[in-house]
Order: sequence, then C-alpha cells, then structure tokens
Amino acid sequence: METQKRTPWRRWIVLVLMIAGFILGGIYIPVQPEIAVAAEKLIEEPIAENFLGLGPLYLVNTMPTLAVTLVLLVVIAFFTNRSLKKSQNTDLVPRGIGNVMEGILEVLYNLTEGSAGTKWARAIFPWFATIMIYVLFANLLKLIPGFESIGILHPAHGEGHAIAPLFGNWSSLLPAKVEEGGYILAPFFRGISVDLNFTASLAIIAVVAIQYIGFRAQGLGYLSKFFNTRRMFQVPFFGAMDFLVGLLELISELSKILSFAFRLFGNMFAGVVLVAIVAGLLGRISILPAMIMMFELFVGIIQAFVFGMLTMVFMAQATQGHGGEEHAEH
Amino acid sequence: MDGQFLLDGMRYVGAGLAMIGAAGAGVGIGLSVQGALTGMARNPDTYGNLLTNMILGIAFSEAIAIYCLVIAFLMLFKVV
Amino acid sequence: MAALGISPGFLIVQIIAFIIVLLTLNAWVYKPMLDMMETRKNKIAQGLEDARVASEARANAEKEAAKIITAAQAEAGKVVRQATERAASAGKDVKAAAEAEAAKAREVAMGEAELERNRILGDLRGQVAALAIAAANKLVGETLDEKKQRALIDEFFSGVKGGKVVVAEGFTGDSAIVTSALPLTSDEQQSVKKNVSAKEVSFKVDPSILGGLVIKIGDKVLDGSVAGKLEGLRQTLK
Repeated sequence: METQKRTPWRRWIVLVLMIAGFILGGIYIPVQPEIAVAAEKLIEEPIAENFLGLGPLYLVNTMPTLAVTLVLLVVIAFFTNRSLKKSQNTDLVPRGIGNVMEGILEVLYNLTEGSAGTKWARAIFPWFATIMIYVLFANLLKLIPGFESIGILHPAHGEGHAIAPLFGNWSSLLPAKVEEGGYILAPFFRGISVDLNFTASLAIIAVVAIQYIGFRAQGLGYLSKFFNTRRMFQVPFFGAMDFLVGLLELISELSKILSFAFRLFGNMFAGVVLVAIVAGLLGRISILPAMIMMFELFVGIIQAFVFGMLTMVFMAQATQGHGGEEHAEH
Repeated sequence: MDGQFLLDGMRYVGAGLAMIGAAGAGVGIGLSVQGALTGMARNPDTYGNLLTNMILGIAFSEAIAIYCLVIAFLMLFKVV
Repeated sequence: MAALGISPGFLIVQIIAFIIVLLTLNAWVYKPMLDMMETRKNKIAQGLEDARVASEARANAEKEAAKIITAAQAEAGKVVRQATERAASAGKDVKAAAEAEAAKAREVAMGEAELERNRILGDLRGQVAALAIAAANKLVGETLDEKKQRALIDEFFSGVKGGKVVVAEGFTGDSAIVTSALPLTSDEQQSVKKNVSAKEVSFKVDPSILGGLVIKIGDKVLDGSVAGKLEGLRQTLK
C-alpha cells in the first residue's frame, strides 16, 4: 500500500476551466433565458394530430432528454445485467458496474427492509429503486452543459433578443432586448424533471402503486381505510367521525399526487430559475452561477432520495392495516 | 392604465403573497430537522428510524409550501 | 393546465417511459441482483453452518482424543509402576543374591585366611619353641632335656598336659569353643575333644591369651589361659 505522490494536474484543469469561463463569459455575455413553466415546442406543428384521442402531441424539448435518459438507463441496466450474470456464474462477487449498482441498491434494499419489513421489501423495492434512479438521472442530466442553452431560435411573438451570427447556420443571443423582430431560444434539451408532465406522471404512478401494494397486502380490507364503517353502528358519533376521517384520507391520497408532482417540479424549476436569473443579472461574473449549479447537484440528489423514500414509506404504511387499535393513537 | 394592466399586476402581487405561506413550511421543516438531529445526537442507534420519520415529516410540512406554490402558479398562469 | 405545460398525451408518454424503465431495471438489475444477494446470503449462512458443524466435530474429536490420551496415560502409568515394581523386586533379588555371594566369598576368604594364619602360626610354633629353649638355656645355664623341654612348651601353649585337659565337673554342653594361643596339633585336638564333654568342639586361635586354653561351653567359660592366670596374679598382688 504505497501512496503515490500524485501530480495535482486536476486542479490546474479546474483553474484553466475557470479562466476560460471568465473569458467566455466576457465575450458571450450570459443571456437570461425565457423562463417558461411549460416545455418549449421545438417544432410548431404537432407530431401527432390526435394522440390516442387526447389531442395533439407536440415535439417539446423534454422529449429528446427523455429519449437520452431512457437509452442511458437501458444501456446501464444492460451492462449491469451482463456484469451480474458473469459474477453469478463465477464466484458471486460483482465487479465493475455491477459492483457499483449493487453497492447503491443494497443500501436501498436494507432501507426498504428496515421500513417495510422482510415480507414486503421484495415487492416494494423495485418501485422505490426505480423511482429513485430515474429521478436521480433526470435531475443530474440537466446539469450537463448545453442543456437549456443550445437550441432552436424561434421568432418572438412579442419582446425578443437580438442575435449575432456565430458561424455557419448558428447564431448567439445578445443580452439586449428588442421590441420587434427578436428571437426566443427553444433549447434542444430541457431537463425532464423541469417538466410537470414528468413529475405528475411519476406522482400518479407512485400513488397508484401505493394503492396497488395496499390492495395486495390487505385485499379489499384496504378500502376500509377510506370508507371506514367499522364502528359506525356501535358508537354512532365517533363512527361518523371515523367515516369522515376516512374520506379525508381519500382526499389526502389524491393530494399526494399534487404534492409529489409539485415538490420535485418546484425544487428543480427553482434551481433553473435561480441559475438563469443569477447568470443574467451578474453578466460577466460567471463564478456564482457555478456555485449555484453545485447546489443544484445537491438538491437533485436529495430530491431523488426524498421522492423514492416517500413512495417507499407510503407503501410500507399501506401494507400495515389501519385497525381500530391504531386509531386510538391518533 | 386600463383594467387589464392592473389585473396583470395584481396577478403577480397575488402570486408573491401566496408564497408567503412557504415561510411556515420553512419553520416547520427546520423544527422537524432540529428535533430529529437532537434525537440522533442523543441516541445514534435510532438514526435510520429517525431519518425515515424526519423525511416523512418534512414531506408533510413541505406539502404546505407546495400548495402555496400551486396557488401561485395558478394565479401567475391564469389556469383558473 | 396547458399553461403549466401538462398535456395528457405527453403524460402518457412519460408514464410509458417510466414503465419501460421499471420493467428493464426489474428484469435486468433487481432480479439478478436480489437473487445473487439471496444466493450469497444462503452461501454465507451455509458456510457458517458448515464451520459450526466442523468446529463441533473438532471439539468432539478433541474430547475423544483427550479421553484416549488419558486412558493411554493411565495405562502407561500402570505399566511403568509394574515395571518399577518388577525391577525393584528383581533388583532386591539380585542384591540379595549378590550379598549372599559376597558373604559366601567373604566367609570362604576368611576361612582361607584363618587357615593360612593357623598354618603360619603352626609353622611358627616350632621356631618359638626353639627360641624359648635357647632362651631358657641361656637363662638357666644348663642344658635341659630337649624332649622334656619341648613337651613343657607344648603343654604351655596348648594347655594339654599329658594328653589330658582338666575340666571342671558339670561342665557339659552341646557345643564347645576351645581357644588356644597357637593352633593345636591334631593329636592335641583329639585329646581336647576326648576330655571336653561336648558333642561338637570347634577350635579357635587367639594369640592374645598367650598360652593355655579357654574353653567355652554354652554360657560358661573355663579360663585356663596364661593371660587369665596373669590377670589373677595381678589381682592378687594388688
């Protein structure tokens, strides 16, 4: 175990990048992008006029990111599978990517086992781990340079930015705003977690999966959580109260969709807005947005963990019956 | 100064006011984390259990802030 | 909803995407990984169980070995004790034999030495007599009868006067020990045996009595020695 004296070339690279950032930030002044809650359309015409009878489907800029994320995840899953298969046939010791994935997933599995117990861990774990990994990739991919900054220039309907030709068919936006004839940038890639469709779909899936696990664990008895008629005829007053509380549970179950969707979206969107506004305000000084990007990294990991963890905890709760004796605690 | 301009302005003001509610959520989250950390410091064995419950509590507190955010969005983007 | 960018079509696309991810990860990552973890856990448990069984077996074997060793030690101790006893008895036997042998040898040697001494003293007897006669001649100044002189001297030494030994009445017993100053001749021994009323008569030579005979029968002693007479004389003169 001899410790090699490493030449600190990495810090020089960081210094060079910082200097390059300063110079480039001086030449190409950061432009405050158009902050839109909705994903921007890359093409004005819909790619499907009537998608499954639900209206037109536009090619928005989260779709390429979604495709990239999916391909990345599938490729990682494929190589992990190959690595695991190989180690399973030899000595049960995973190597390479299989080892990395196993290290992460084992922690998650132990967490699941600790919350939900051994019996249901196997059923809950795939949901938990998938949501966590998926959201983690979605959150971290949007930090790659080029996301939200390279895209198609659409002619602005109202106020827009002036452009300066760069090379070939490419141009760069100028900070100055013009009333007429300006352009608006629609980036090719927009982080999928900065899209309410993504977060809402995940929230719907999570809540539906929670109900599914609840029914699997308790059968139709799970419904008594929402329509609580157990004590209705024994103690009329408190029985009615229980029934109302059950209805409130139903509402809270629905509000879980809302809170899941907007928690992730709010955090990620706030990050994007923060970076955009700070970069736009500071102009040439590009060091502070970099710091905020680092904070975004942290927030991305935390939010992925929270999303998965909450799903897991709600699922674990759904597996446990809400009997009369538990009501006494409330 | 036509009515439409005033309406636009008031929308922003309303959205901003709606987000005041996030202050309560912030206090709530801080309190729950404080309690959990104190518990962890006093009894490190309960780390895992406390972490789970802390995140659950934070989520419930944060839900309030999220309702504020939703209301702000609704006002801002004239959804309703 | 459109202002927030939520469109049902895209929502469905996202849901489909999530299901793809879920199924892919489940089939390619979770299942093999959990199976592997299970297998590994079982293998480790199996290994621990095996180790436990092995250690138990080893403990049993050790106990067995200890028992065997104890038995062997007891056996060995017994054998050693027996051997020691046998060796001790054999040694005692050998020692006794050796002692007997030595005693016999010593006896033989002593007997031989006695005989030798007696022979030498017997040889000396003639010379002593000659010397005594010569001395008496010089002292008295006249030549005594050679034959008479010799008889006198013989009588002095042997205490046997004219083939007779004076023995007190009732001086009888089983065995008698006759001590003389010089070895007696076989004639003298015959006459002593004749006169002493004892079944067995053994002869001893002790020059310290100077002359005469000391006859010991049983616990009675008849002191007819010159030394005894001198002692009596000394007591009288005192």
